Amino acid sequence: MAERYDVIIVGAGPAGLSAAIYAARARLKTLVLDESVPGGQMKTTHKVSNYPGFPEDVKGADLAKAFSMQAERFGAKVRRAVEITGRDLSGPVKWFELDEEEKVEAPAVIVATGAKPRELGIPGESKFRGRGISYCATCDGAYFDGKEIHVVGGGNSAVEESLFLTQFAKKVTIIHQLDHFQAEPVSAKEALESPKIEVIWNSEPRAFLGEGQLEKVRVEDVKTHQARELPTDGVFVFVGYAPRTDLLKGLVALNPWGYVETGEDMSTPVPGLYVAGDIRSKKFRQITTAVADGTIAALAVQKYVKDHP
Amino acid sequence: MSEQVKEIGQAEYEGEVLAASRQQPVVLDFYSTECPPCEALAPKYEAVAEHFAGRARFLKVFRQGNRDLAAKLGVTGSPTLVFFKNGQEAGERMSGEEIKRSALKAQVEALLQ
Repeated sequence: MAERYDVIIVGAGPAGLSAAIYAARARLKTLVLDESVPGGQMKTTHKVSNYPGFPEDVKGADLAKAFSMQAERFGAKVRRAVEITGRDLSGPVKWFELDEEEKVEAPAVIVATGAKPRELGIPGESKFRGRGISYCATCDGAYFDGKEIHVVGGGNSAVEESLFLTQFAKKVTIIHQLDHFQAEPVSAKEALESPKIEVIWNSEPRAFLGEGQLEKVRVEDVKTHQARELPTDGVFVFVGYAPRTDLLKGLVALNPWGYVETGEDMSTPVPGLYVAGDIRSKKFRQITTAVADGTIAALAVQKYVKDHP
Repeated sequence: MSEQVKEIGQAEYEGEVLAASRQQPVVLDFYSTECPPCEALAPKYEAVAEHFAGRARFLKVFRQGNRDLAAKLGVTGSPTLVFFKNGQEAGERMSGEEIKRSALKAQVEALLQ
C-alpha cells in the first residue's frame, strides 16, 4: 500500500522547502524527498550575503538547516538520502517508489530538483574527479592546504569560492574564458585585489593530465589558440549548472537549454504536476527567486488539491 | 553509527583494509566535516553496509585526522569511496554528492562475484 499525501515535493532546496512551508501551513499533508541532505546548492555555498533578513553573512549550510526546520515545524515530512527508484507522474494519482522498498502517492507533485554543477566535459575530468578535481570548495578546500590550485570559471560561484579557497591554498589561479568576471562587482574587485589570486583571461581548459593523480591542466588561449600545460595540485570547477530534469523526461517539453517552461503559477501541461526553482526556464536563478517559485507553486497546489481531492 | 560501519585510523590501514580484503571485499569511505555530501552519504552507506553484513566490510576514515593516508591513496575529495579486494584496490572509486545507493550496491555486488 502506498502512503498517501496531498503533495509530494521533490528536492529540498530553497524552492522545495519554501513550497513545503506554505503547503504544510495550509494543512496539506506534505512530503519532501531529497537524495541528499536538505539545502540544495545552498548547503555547499560557504556564505550567503544577499538573502534578505540576514544583516550579516550566513553560512549556506546554516540557512539550509533553518529552511528545513521551519518546514518540519509546520508538519512537513522531509526525507533525506532517499533514491527514487520508480515513478509515474502522468495520471491523477502520482506515485514514487523509494529505495526499491516503499511507495508514496499524491494528487499533486512539485518538482524542485534544481540544477547540479555543470561538468566541463573534457578529457580527464571524470578520471581525476576526487583525485585532484573538485566541484565543492567547502567540502574539499582543506585538502589543498598550502597548495597551488586552479579554479575554472568567472561567475559568482567561481569568484566567491576562489576567495574562500585562499584560506587554504597558497595560490589560486582562475582560468576564465572571457576578459572580465561576470561575478558581482564587490566580489570581482576583492578577487582582483587578493595577493593570492591570479587570473588567466580569455582561456579555457582543454584536458586534465596526470598518471594516477591530476598533475597538469592543458589551457588554450581562445584568441591566439596557443595551448600550454600548467602544473597544478588541484582544480575546482565552477562553470554554471545543468538542470536536473530526469524525472520529467517524456512528460513535459524542455527548452533548448534543458530547462522547463511553466505557466506563471508554476504549472506544467500535466494536471497536478508543478515545477519550481532553478529547473525552470527563467532569466535569474537566485535563492530569492527559488523561494518565490516555491511559494507560488504551493499556493497553486492548494487550489488544485482542493478541486481534485 | 551503524554497527556494520567501523571507523578506522590510518595506522590500521594495512590490517583492516589490505589484509582484510583478502577475506572479503572492503569499502573505505573518506569523509570530512563541513561536508554536506558526506552527511548525505552516511545513511545510504550504513544501509548498504547492513545489506552486505557478513559478506563485505564497510569502513570509514576521517580525512582531517588521517592526511597521510589520503595523500598516499591520492584522495582529494570528500566523500570518496575506495574499494579493495584481494589485498589491492579494485573497481572504480566513487566521489561527491551523486553517489547513489543502488550504484554502491551494484559495485559491491560485482566485487563479490
